[in-house]
Amino acid sequence: MRIKPRFLFGGALIVAAIAYLIVIGIRSTSEYYLTVDEAAARQTELMGQSIRVAGRVKAGTIEWDPTKLKLSFTIVPPPQDGAAVQPVSMRPAQEIRVVCTGEPKPDMFAAGRDVIVEGHLTAHNFVTADQVMTSCPSKYQAKKAG
Amino acid sequence: MTLIGQLALALGLLLAVYSIGANIYGLRRRSGEVLASARHALWAMTAMVALAACGLWTGLLRSDFSLEYVASYSSTTLPTVYKITALWGGQQGSLLFWTLLLSIFSAIVAFQTRERNSEIAPYVLIVMAAVAVFFLAMLNFVTRPFDAMIPVPAQGTDLNPLLQNYWMAIHPPSLYTGYVSTTVPFAFATAALMTGRLDDGWIRSTRRWALFSWFFLTLGNMFGARWAYEVLGWGGYWAWDPVENAAFMPWLVMTAYLHSVMVQERKDMLKVWNLALIGLAFALTLFGTFITRSGVISSVHSFTQSGLGPYFLTFLLVVVVAYTGLLLSRIKDLRSPAELESYLSREAAFLFNNLVLVGIAFAVFWGTVFPVISEAVRGVKITVGPPFFNKVNGPLALALIFLMGVGPLIAWRRATRKNLVQSFTAPAVVGIVTGLLAYAFGIRGWYVLTGFSLAAFVLGTIVVEFERGVLARGRMVHERPPRALVNLVAKNNRRYGGYIVHLGVVLAFVAIIGSSFFKTEVKQSVKPGQSFAVGPYRLVYLGLASFETAHLENLSARVNVTRDGRSLEVIEPAKLFFKRQQQPATRVAIRSTLAADLYVVLAGVDDKTGMATFDVFLTPLVSWLWLGGLTMALGTVVTMWPNAHEREVIAAAARRRMGELERQLAAEVRGT
Repeated sequence: MRIKPRFLFGGALIVAAIAYLIVIGIRSTSEYYLTVDEAAARQTELMGQSIRVAGRVKAGTIEWDPTKLKLSFTIVPPPQDGAAVQPVSMRPAQEIRVVCTGEPKPDMFAAGRDVIVEGHLTAHNFVTADQVMTSCPSKYQAKKAG
Repeated sequence: MTLIGQLALALGLLLAVYSIGANIYGLRRRSGEVLASARHALWAMTAMVALAACGLWTGLLRSDFSLEYVASYSSTTLPTVYKITALWGGQQGSLLFWTLLLSIFSAIVAFQTRERNSEIAPYVLIVMAAVAVFFLAMLNFVTRPFDAMIPVPAQGTDLNPLLQNYWMAIHPPSLYTGYVSTTVPFAFATAALMTGRLDDGWIRSTRRWALFSWFFLTLGNMFGARWAYEVLGWGGYWAWDPVENAAFMPWLVMTAYLHSVMVQERKDMLKVWNLALIGLAFALTLFGTFITRSGVISSVHSFTQSGLGPYFLTFLLVVVVAYTGLLLSRIKDLRSPAELESYLSREAAFLFNNLVLVGIAFAVFWGTVFPVISEAVRGVKITVGPPFFNKVNGPLALALIFLMGVGPLIAWRRATRKNLVQSFTAPAVVGIVTGLLAYAFGIRGWYVLTGFSLAAFVLGTIVVEFERGVLARGRMVHERPPRALVNLVAKNNRRYGGYIVHLGVVLAFVAIIGSSFFKTEVKQSVKPGQSFAVGPYRLVYLGLASFETAHLENLSARVNVTRDGRSLEVIEPAKLFFKRQQQPATRVAIRSTLAADLYVVLAGVDDKTGMATFDVFLTPLVSWLWLGGLTMALGTVVTMWPNAHEREVIAAAARRRMGELERQLAAEVRGT
């Protein structure tokens, strides 16, 4: 099919419109996706910005107030796969305290689970979260019984 | 069981490889017998894969924990129906299920083409067998469903509680069926490119397969949305998660394809585009599996990195490169003599609808892979969430709905002023009046108003079309309206089935607007006996009730839903606790009406005081989404139904064939 220039123009216009929407969309809605270490290391520049942080819920740090729907907990970097021996002299592992109010506690939420926290860095090592997402409803790979 | 299963999969792989070899050899030697043997090998392969699947099912049903898969995804207390669905609850099983579907489809194609399409059939079967070889190789060497568990545990870990839901029983099979069946049109397209038979034969031969695939992709997406809505307890049904996007993209591309093939059938245009679209649709199904299996993109459904990723990526690249190469090598023969004549034509409307659909698919793709790209380019992982997808796709959806109204009514080639006025005056008036009425009733927001107007406009075009058809039948064959309507649809089922699908899209679109823009949420902690208001309802918390089975503990809150002082019903949102997995799960209570859904989540319970915290959503029009989905499915069935004309063609072909056979027989009898 030969396409006359005036139709090419129309098609190009649509393609350009879509590209424009994508560029604007990305600019206005993107947020940093960070690990606990990265977020902790770049606090000053990230303060107040909307971010997502991925980490593992530290055991013994969970507080849940069911009447206020207030969930607070601490996330730490998940242990590296395959690194059985951690380097000794490194600085202590980074930790971030998370408080999320007004959302029900996700069913899969528990100590040791990997979570993604969406919100803002509001104080040193402290995230006020809008949403806490837990990993993996479907295709959830059972841990090898060992 | 282990041995039988592994043996069956190994034999299946050998048979698939043999089938490819035999097809190639048979083509070289022009030997019908060898080609028949290749076909039989595919059937045997299907039998082997079915045997393997039955083996795994047997293991699940008998709670045979010597199989690692059964030990990981089942338990003795799991209800039987979920033991069956556990086949696709884990990775190895879902790949096996995928392969089972692929084998069954290959077997059907091999059967259908034993007499028809005999020139391209061997090529089609080579492609299908090649895909099967990949999946069987995965099952044999990479992710093995029949690995043994040593030592054998007394109890299994159980299926994830979130998957213990009836939508989970039907969502994955629908989606997989939709995914896998794109292989058939893809294989025919590839065969057309290999043989150089580039007319629309491959499209005609696979029209039903493409519709079949679309039907299941539609249902699969809808069931998935329904599952998320009922189970996850956040009041929504779609979150633009990578896994959802992976299921949505093939649907978009297949939708584009189903429209653009009509242009080729009618006008002999868009040949390259159609071949490209079907290749893209197939590649997207592989891509979907790749992103969900590789852990490259973190998803809320985050997947364990399973080592499958690199294999899928390699296979995907091979498919894309080979197919693109094949397409480019034929590009000269794919020139179409026809050309676009006017913006105001059905061709143009279809072309633009295709651009928009593919544009949406691309935006979804870009948003999904953006974290990976940004990390590679800028060294920082940047994600985009639902706001991005809504922002980009919102306006594109409006354009799409508009074109959906225009496309079916505008004339081919070049619309005259008369055609435009006749077709669109009434619908345009309906659309504008609807928008004004909505404004008068206090609805604000340009998107909502435009959306409702366009929905009414499309509805108007559909009504106009049905009315025209019914009146025409009244004039020509003197039928009264109800009968005329039935006959109209029965005799032109492709066309009117399409309109029914469009009606479903309108319903779904209105549901999406209603539920996205007018949703209200109330969070409230109450003691037994206390009540609180949600929209027009007042919810009275009566108290807690609990029971326990071998499998789970159930703690539910009894809530009386009242309206204007009248008690409507007692609902019981609940928290379940699955004993085997030591995990809680939410049971949402939904009171669904056409106007709005009342969606009640028991968010928290204070054991000491009996105080319960509820998270309640009032979501207008959301039930129209499921209605819309079912309407789309119904319309697709109508479109696929063989009509009288087609039956006549098939019967004629059969008669011709019988005649031929009789002549042959007569000739042989004379010869002896």
